[in-house]
Amino acid sequence: MKNVSILVVEDDNWLSEQFARVLENAGYVVKTVSNALSAIEEIDDEQPDVVVLDVLLTGSTAFALLHELQSYGDTGSIPVILCTNLASELVLDDLKPYGVKKILDKTTMIPDDLIISVRSVLP
Amino acid sequence: MSAQIGEHNSFTNGSLLDGLPSVIAAAHELKSPLALIRQLSLTLEDCPFSAEEQKRMLKQISLTSESALRLTSDLTRSVRLSDALFKLEPINPKQLCEDIIHELTPFFSAHDCKVRLKSRKHPLLLIANRDLLRRIIMNFSDNALHYTEENTTVEIQIAALAGGKKVRLGVRDYGPALSMDVLNSLQSRLVDASTTIHARPQSSGLGLYIARQFADAMNGNIGVKRHRNGSTFYVDLQASNQLSLL
Repeated sequence: MKNVSILVVEDDNWLSEQFARVLENAGYVVKTVSNALSAIEEIDDEQPDVVVLDVLLTGSTAFALLHELQSYGDTGSIPVILCTNLASELVLDDLKPYGVKKILDKTTMIPDDLIISVRSVLP
Repeated sequence: MSAQIGEHNSFTNGSLLDGLPSVIAAAHELKSPLALIRQLSLTLEDCPFSAEEQKRMLKQISLTSESALRLTSDLTRSVRLSDALFKLEPINPKQLCEDIIHELTPFFSAHDCKVRLKSRKHPLLLIANRDLLRRIIMNFSDNALHYTEENTTVEIQIAALAGGKKVRLGVRDYGPALSMDVLNSLQSRLVDASTTIHARPQSSGLGLYIARQFADAMNGNIGVKRHRNGSTFYVDLQASNQLSLL
C-alpha cells in the first residue's frame, strides 16, 4: 500500500496527538501542526494526500487556509476533512467548493470515524 | 460563495461567541475537554497501544478532567459571588504563586512546558481573597498553557506598581502575538462587565469573564499586555498598607 500522508491541523496538542495516534495505527503517515501558517509551510514542503482541519485555530482560521489552498492549482485538489466542535454551524454544501469533503463533529465522532472519513475522501 | 465564507469568517473572528449568555459560553468552553476525554476513552476501550502509551492517555484524561472541573468550580463560585461576602486579607503573593506553581507543574510537564515564578524575594503583600485570587491566576495559567509554544516556560510575575500602592500579578505566555485589533477590542471589553471577553478565536471568553468578576469582587482589575511573542494577562490589586502601620 502506498504511504498515504495526512496533515492534521489542530491547536489542541493532545487532541492532535490523539488523531495522529488513531491514524498512524491505521497505517497512515501523519504530520501535525497547530496553526494555519505552519500548515501552509508544511504543504509547501510536502503535499499531503488529505488534510484534517480544525476550524477555530489560533491566529489565522481554517477558512484562511482553505482560501490559500484554493488559490493554487496543485493544492486546490487536496481533500479536506473539517473536524470541529462547530459542526452544527456548518453546511457541507457551502464548503465543498473550498475542497471540504467531510465535516466531523468532535463531540459525537468516534475514533474510527476519522479513519472512515479519510478512506472515503481518498481518490 | 464568498458571502458564505464571509459569514464563516465572522464567527471565526469571534462574533458568534461574543456576548454569549454564560450558560452557552460554559457549554462551549466545556466541549473541547469533554470531546478530548471521550476520544481518549473510546480509544482506550479498544486499545492496541503499549502500556506506556495507555498510561500517557490516562494521564491526559485525568489532567484534562481536572482542568474542566476547575472551570465548573469557577462558574459555581462566579454565580454565587453576589450572594456572598468574601474575606479580604493581606496575602503574600509569592507564597500563593509558589503554591499554584506546585499544583500546576504536573499539568505543564505533561504538555512539555514549564511554569516558574518571577518575583523579588520579598514582594509587597496585597489585599485579596486567597481563593478568588488563586482562581484568577490558575485561569490565566490555563490560558497561557494553551497558547504558549511547546518547550517554553510560562512566567508568573509579581511586581509593585504606582509607587507601591498596587501589586500586579501577571502570567506571561510565549505564543502567537495578539493582533492589534484583538488587543484593542480586548482592552475596551475588559472594563465592560456585561460581556464575555475572548483573546483568541476559539475561546468563548468565559475564563476571562470570570476572572474579571473575581477581580471586581476584590476591588481589583484585570488587563492584558501584548508582546512580540505572546501576551501577559494580569490582575492589579491594592497593596497591603500593613507595613506602613508598623
